[in-house]
Amino acid sequence: MDKEMRAGPDASLERRRFLAKMASAVFASMVAPGLAQGLPQAPTTPLTPEEEDVLLRMQKELERALKNPNRRWGMVIDLRKCVGCHACTVSCMAENRLPPGVVYRPVSEEEIGTFPNVTYRFVPQPCMQCDEPPCVPACPYNATWKRKDGIVEIDYELCVGCEKCIPACPYDSRHKDDGYYWTENTPGQGQMPYEELPVYEWGKKVNRDDEAGPMDKVRKCHFCLHRIERGLLPQCVVTCIGRATYFGDLEDPSSLVSELIRKPNVMRLKEEAGTKPRVYYLV
Amino acid sequence: MEKLSRRELLKLSSAGALLGPVGLALQEQSAQGMEAYEIQLPENTIYSTCLQCNTGCPIKVKLYEGVASKIDGNPLSPWTFRPHLPLNTDIHTLAKVDGALCPKGQAGIQTTYDPYRIRKVLKRAGPRGSGKWEEIPFHQAVKEIVEGGKLFAHLGDDRVYPGLKDLWALRDPEIMKQMAQAVRAIWAEKDREKKKALVEKFKEDFKEHLHTLIDPDHPDLGPKNNQVVFAWGRLKAGRSDFIRWFFSQSFGTVNLHGHTTVCQGSLYFTGKAMSEQPTFDTTGKLSWSGGAKFYWQADLSKARFVVFVGANVFEGNYGPPLRVGWITERTSKGELEYAIVDPWAQKAVKGASRWIAPKPGHDAAIAMGVIRLLMEWGKIDRKFLSAANRAAAKAMGESSWTNATWLVKLKDGKPERLLRASDLGLAKPKAKVGDKEVELDAPVVLQEGRPVAFNPNDEGQPVFGDLWVNTTLNGIPVKSALELIKEEAFRHQVRTWAAFAGVQEEDIRFLAEKLAQYGKKAVVDVHRGASQHTNGFYNALAWFTVNALLGNIDHQGGFVQASTYDITGGRAGGPFPMGKLHPKPLSPFGISLIRHEVKYEDTTLFAGFPAKRPWYPHASDVYQEILPSAAQGYPYPVKILFHYMGSPAYALPGGSEQIQAMLDPDKIPLIVAFDIVVGDTYLFADYIIPDLSYLERWEFHGSHPSIIWKVQPVRQPAIAPIPEEVEVFGEKMPISLESFLMALAEHLGLPGFGEKGFANGMPFTHPDHFYLKLAANLAFGEKADGSDALPEASEEELEVFRQARRHLPPTVFAEERWRKAIGDESLFRRTVYLLNRGGRFQEFHKAYAPGDLVANRYGKQVNLFLEKQALSLHPMTGKPYWPLPAYFLPYQDVLGNQLRDPGYGLTLLTHRNILQTKSRTISNYWLLAIKPENEILVNAQDAARLGLRDGQLVKVVSATNPKGEWDLGPFGKKPMVGKVKVVQGLRPGCVAFPLGFGHWAYGASDIVINGQVVKGDPRRAKGIHANAAMRLDPYLKDMALTDVVGGSVVFYETRVNLIPV
Repeated sequence: MDKEMRAGPDASLERRRFLAKMASAVFASMVAPGLAQGLPQAPTTPLTPEEEDVLLRMQKELERALKNPNRRWGMVIDLRKCVGCHACTVSCMAENRLPPGVVYRPVSEEEIGTFPNVTYRFVPQPCMQCDEPPCVPACPYNATWKRKDGIVEIDYELCVGCEKCIPACPYDSRHKDDGYYWTENTPGQGQMPYEELPVYEWGKKVNRDDEAGPMDKVRKCHFCLHRIERGLLPQCVVTCIGRATYFGDLEDPSSLVSELIRKPNVMRLKEEAGTKPRVYYLV
Repeated sequence: MEKLSRRELLKLSSAGALLGPVGLALQEQSAQGMEAYEIQLPENTIYSTCLQCNTGCPIKVKLYEGVASKIDGNPLSPWTFRPHLPLNTDIHTLAKVDGALCPKGQAGIQTTYDPYRIRKVLKRAGPRGSGKWEEIPFHQAVKEIVEGGKLFAHLGDDRVYPGLKDLWALRDPEIMKQMAQAVRAIWAEKDREKKKALVEKFKEDFKEHLHTLIDPDHPDLGPKNNQVVFAWGRLKAGRSDFIRWFFSQSFGTVNLHGHTTVCQGSLYFTGKAMSEQPTFDTTGKLSWSGGAKFYWQADLSKARFVVFVGANVFEGNYGPPLRVGWITERTSKGELEYAIVDPWAQKAVKGASRWIAPKPGHDAAIAMGVIRLLMEWGKIDRKFLSAANRAAAKAMGESSWTNATWLVKLKDGKPERLLRASDLGLAKPKAKVGDKEVELDAPVVLQEGRPVAFNPNDEGQPVFGDLWVNTTLNGIPVKSALELIKEEAFRHQVRTWAAFAGVQEEDIRFLAEKLAQYGKKAVVDVHRGASQHTNGFYNALAWFTVNALLGNIDHQGGFVQASTYDITGGRAGGPFPMGKLHPKPLSPFGISLIRHEVKYEDTTLFAGFPAKRPWYPHASDVYQEILPSAAQGYPYPVKILFHYMGSPAYALPGGSEQIQAMLDPDKIPLIVAFDIVVGDTYLFADYIIPDLSYLERWEFHGSHPSIIWKVQPVRQPAIAPIPEEVEVFGEKMPISLESFLMALAEHLGLPGFGEKGFANGMPFTHPDHFYLKLAANLAFGEKADGSDALPEASEEELEVFRQARRHLPPTVFAEERWRKAIGDESLFRRTVYLLNRGGRFQEFHKAYAPGDLVANRYGKQVNLFLEKQALSLHPMTGKPYWPLPAYFLPYQDVLGNQLRDPGYGLTLLTHRNILQTKSRTISNYWLLAIKPENEILVNAQDAARLGLRDGQLVKVVSATNPKGEWDLGPFGKKPMVGKVKVVQGLRPGCVAFPLGFGHWAYGASDIVINGQVVKGDPRRAKGIHANAAMRLDPYLKDMALTDVVGGSVVFYETRVNLIPV
């Protein structure tokens, strides 16, 4: 550490006091989020075309939902607004340290029509967090189950990577972490700094190759559980440049997602499979 | 090359820094049963700016034990959040809110932590392009480049290479100024004999200094200093100021050239031509100056109808996070409608009211059709267009005005120049020029049939002119500029314009109707698809004219420009006015290597038409000219070429020729490159100096025309440097562009660096000393009294600032050094406040002025008649440049000859895919996981006709590359072979490939360093890059087709064939 940062005893005492104060402030903010209070007052003359970014509204709703023990998460994806940029896919890979071969939120691209009447369809497809998840009974080890908050969980300590759940999923949402690294067979030897970062999935902070880590297990989208429990929106939601992805508590009738799924143009993928997905699409 | 594990990186940073008190604080939290999400805490976040493309989105770099762990958008900026949060948002709240980024921004970590990053200086260990390198000590490289000599004798090369010390020839600022003045006088003299006499006088007057010149018989080539060239690819403010400080002010070369013409040069230089302002000298003579290299874009926050012409708005176009949200949100509410004009069905056709696919390069025909209809319907803004001067604009509540009503003198029925008061013997308006009251030889409008000379800059006397004038005054035939535009538009029926462009008449009518319907809330947004043509300048001019006719400039929802906060202290006069801080600044002069901003016919090199190579009196940064001109030695030989963060061989059309220009040291003796890897172009350099990646360094990214808010994002070190540490001026610092230049300065003894490097006596011995001053200027604001300054950081903010940098070694972050670089505690704290937020961003609602105008305005005259063009000669034809919007045919050589290429039946196009930038994201494996390679798009009709099927491998061949391969010199040949993808979304007759793939270096191939093979990664070599197929100019032969007016290199015209392999 730098010379001037190695200050005298008084300064370091001062810093400890500050840190203690700040730590508790941060702690408080993490368990009792107060986004609305943290933001400066909006200008009184509303010249703005929009009052606030929809991300802020959802984040405030998320903070409210965290106080509701009966919250049940859901996602809405407006296909009209998806521009097929794949930011959600990459953001998720970075956030969840996904290795080659694992993807939590692919986006399919399809060209429609005949020249010159051409358009595109882009469909992001995260884990549907089904209310009737066919992957759960497929697991011989009870390593995966439906949580009270709606998310389908995987326990990496119980999962043996047998892959029986993979074909059970009609959405192809589950992938095995086969232990590959992005920079293997390069001078990086699979050990570039971003490949050695801890994974925050399922309420634990682990290294990827730990016993309780995801390597050699089956992995899937978890709605960024580690983020939502700390008052942060899922990565795919915050990085969506078209603002096409919405997230929140479907038990809260005033939440944006509840509002959106009451629209007539709402649908779910493969309804006929009877899986009751918690991911809705606006078309 | 060594592998870079995190452990090693940590070793590079100061030991133990990671076990600091915050670690304890986090543990305390854990003890309370709550594990914090470390990377989301303010003390683990550094606010900086992305550089995965030139959009430059403000970002937060989230750190885990000093490692950049996740990148998200900074919600304080209009790029990533909408409306963006106010700058005074509490930093704890700020840490919890993430803004949106595109996939490249999300993958930036992989650009920085690239296993192919270089850490020490590389010197070639074989011929250029052999792929053989040795690592050499930093100071050895410095010494060799300063002193020159037999630098490659150990390779059996006995050439004596030049050194910087011999090229720093003219060192006296006073003599340089006097010479520059004498050269201006030579250029101003039109008589060839008198011009010769002035050259002789020059030689007599400066006989003591003639040895410092490149050629005393051609003093306008300037001093030998000009034989040192600094060229760049991606460079933004701050770093560009650093480079100018060194190369321009300290060293004195005129040759600093950017890459603009490979992007959308002709768009910028149309903006420059339209923004030239009328000025008068003390004799009252009218001339033009102050034209800005810039362009306008649409304000998507308020526009009701937008036409995107050659603007790939969902995947490129400065840029997705910034613009896409406005489009998706506002179209879904029915507030915005848009049309796409592009031969390729870009992703934004989803959501567009109409996709119009013209023949490439015929964009101006559509614009002319639109102009005709708007005029026929009376839907141009006649009130706006009738205003002839500043006062008239003011009287109407407008901020800008045009020269639409100004009278143009005709000669042989063609526009020659503007009419002036003296042509008619009219009463001349009076105005102050400096202290002097001057009679202006002013322009003239007709007012109800009566000619009136007027001062365009007058603020008090509004002058309105008649719109349509076609008459003779005192025997002189004259027309108004608007009349001339009308005549051009009415030359053809709309259906004929449509036929020229290969579109339906209905398409042009649709555009015109929508533009007419929304008026000032309708706007045409033009980008490189229209400008990268041999007629690019006039495509842009025609479409920009449509906006002027709508009167939407500076209007909310109209045609708007960028606005940035000053970092150089120029506007406020302090605290650090960089323009005055250099102790001994040289003012370089002479013809530049790319012959820009000077008229060929004025110089001593004039030898009739056509010139040996084009000259660019109205453009600059003509990227494709740099290497071929240097290799040809026209206008003079180059001795040392520095090249920074560019890849001309890969990025430019006809890239093989750019490589050929680099191969021979007899042509360009020394090539010194700065980059983070051995890239596709610097493979052919003599030395590569390792640089810092965008997450490790300083810069100020500026803004883009569509951003109506005044902004200035800061790029600052977020992680410990990956390359080696060096010592310069007795201080330790990471190796980088800056430290290398400083070491050159130290070795040469250049003024402007060292203990008293700044004119105010402050030291310049570390890059921080420069950058912190720029940051302090930004924090201080633009008011001399300090009323525009940011608040001071509180104790708590200061502590968060320190903690967020606890992983940075003292070579990068040393609080005391940073404080001293600013020198004032209050200003230091304001700077901390700035750096804690990653820049300055104007409050959301403040960009909308009461009424209908934006707050940050262009606010000047807009030229529809370009007199500066009219009064200069095309260097190849000898005819004056055409001064008005017009439809010219594409696919011409520099002499204006039409190219045909019989037997080549398809037109090659390129486009951006959001998952790659042009040349430097192939290292991003997350992106490659989604799109591992590109393909050649072929319309289904063509595929059926040619018998091509999906996935089939084909070779791209053209008239100037019939073999269909890249010639990489000693590195071998790379065939241009790619996979066919059959699509509907492409105009038949065109084929297209997305840029970014088909690399031969940047880790794509094996290279040898210190005798060890560094294996290439085959993932990086996939796909096709077909720029080498693009048409070479038949007159020049060593350069791709070029727009001689606007400077753009041509991407979208080459006729090719696809040969199955």
